[in-house]
Amino acid sequence: MAQNMIKTGRMPVDFFTHSYRISGHVDVRRKTLPDILNDPMTGFLQLEDAYISPIIQPGEITATYAASSIAKDNLTLALVATRDEALSRDQSYGSYAGSYLRKVFLTVPSLEVVGYLRLSARVDMRRLLTSDTEKFIPVLDGRVQASIRQEVVFTGGGVLVNKLHIGAFCLEEEDQ
Amino acid sequence: MARILVIDDNADLLQMIRMLLEDRGGHTVVLSAEGEDGLAKAMANPPDLAIVDVMMPGMTGYEVCRRLRKEPATANMPIIILTARGQSVDREAALEAGANEHMAKPVTMSELLDRVNDLLATSPQPPTAPSAVQGIVGVLSLRGGVGVTTVAVNLAVLFARRIPGRVCLVDLSPSSGHVALHLGLRPDPNWLPLGALSPGAIDAAINNYLMGHAAGLAVLAAPYVPVIGTGLSRETVAATLNALKKHVGVVVVDLPSVLTEGAAAVVEAADAIVLVTTADPAALQTTLGSLQALKAWSSKIHLALNQIVPGAAPPAEALQRVVKHPFAATVPYESAQVQVVSQGKPLALIAPQSPLVQGIARLAAGLGLVP
Repeated sequence: MAQNMIKTGRMPVDFFTHSYRISGHVDVRRKTLPDILNDPMTGFLQLEDAYISPIIQPGEITATYAASSIAKDNLTLALVATRDEALSRDQSYGSYAGSYLRKVFLTVPSLEVVGYLRLSARVDMRRLLTSDTEKFIPVLDGRVQASIRQEVVFTGGGVLVNKLHIGAFCLEEEDQ
Repeated sequence: MARILVIDDNADLLQMIRMLLEDRGGHTVVLSAEGEDGLAKAMANPPDLAIVDVMMPGMTGYEVCRRLRKEPATANMPIIILTARGQSVDREAALEAGANEHMAKPVTMSELLDRVNDLLATSPQPPTAPSAVQGIVGVLSLRGGVGVTTVAVNLAVLFARRIPGRVCLVDLSPSSGHVALHLGLRPDPNWLPLGALSPGAIDAAINNYLMGHAAGLAVLAAPYVPVIGTGLSRETVAATLNALKKHVGVVVVDLPSVLTEGAAAVVEAADAIVLVTTADPAALQTTLGSLQALKAWSSKIHLALNQIVPGAAPPAEALQRVVKHPFAATVPYESAQVQVVSQGKPLALIAPQSPLVQGIARLAAGLGLVP
């Protein structure tokens, strides 16, 4: 049943770098967040109302700025509330891409991520991380845990992980 | 119909919430696009409830919340933090700042309206006079290690959520009490200098030895270094309680595990004594003995069964037959308790729905001190 949600055009996103959590709003206009993050024509992402917290004290807001630019290459991941927000338009509603889910564990600096990859066929891990042109890989139903403070956990419908910063990348065995 | 203040920098969201609360809720809504302006509107005409965003230019919603809690006119007002920062760490931050609820955006209209109406229905009436709520609660076990400090700290935090700024938590332990540790405070100042004052001088000096906590509590901590002897005298404790009663409504005292002269003064003055026990034979034996030692005050004893180990516990009915006294409440085991002590964040503040806090809330309700 459709829920009558209160939301507006600006998308709230939690961005993470090696040491910081940066919360803010992205004006996605007619694009999706993955489209913006994976756009090779722009190295920076514009953020409205940036709220900055150290990863080790992620509830404390240590600085706020009305507008900021974030270097996309330096992001380790972006956390969004719903699955749809983590999928590009060709992956989202009505798309055949991604017919089954595989559980994944991966690490980026300071953080561990557990969630699901949406895949369309049997996967070659090397190809998944290297051959695709998209820099950010969507992990659905993500659970992000701070590696040095395991009690600090973030959850979201989608996590867009920067492939450049992935340390370990582990897929669980398929059921069948 | 209530008057609701909504503070959010998103103009579209403000209008949506206005329509929801006015058209479907029948409330009157006051809108503000930023924290300073919202505070000014709250001070000029205090609303019945406030909905506050966190991420706003100029002042965060947490700061708005803290400042609303400091003002007598809005200290008791229900506050909902409605924010895109929807993680569990953000919920902790919101509750620590003094909010009653934390809701993550996007939220459904019915969820928000239900939460607003629930809070309005259960919000306490503002106290009309300092004497409106008054009482002393001693929390005690003559066997150590049964969770007395956990009960005392969470009890005080729960009281403070009902009557912010009007609760004092006292740690009377002479052997490096842990109240400050549970609250993430450094026990400086503490009660040690009170012992050198004459009872008559304590009234004027007491404020110098109290610490404030974000939960809306005043704290009189125990000294970090254990004292030689049994701590404060009966006269000093009695004078301290009298002084505190002039400033706050409820005093919760975490008592040491021996009946010192100071502890006896609290037992005599208390309106309620929470006697904490666990289900192990040694604790039950000590509880039986304690009930005999405190027989003169049995009518004000509220026995609390604290489950400090995981797993199945003996039935409370069977334990009641052993100690020959009814349990006022059972406090379930909570695995996170050890962790929150190391973080200095009581569960009543960061996880009010946890079974442990719910158990202590039942205990608090049975004391009959705070409506």
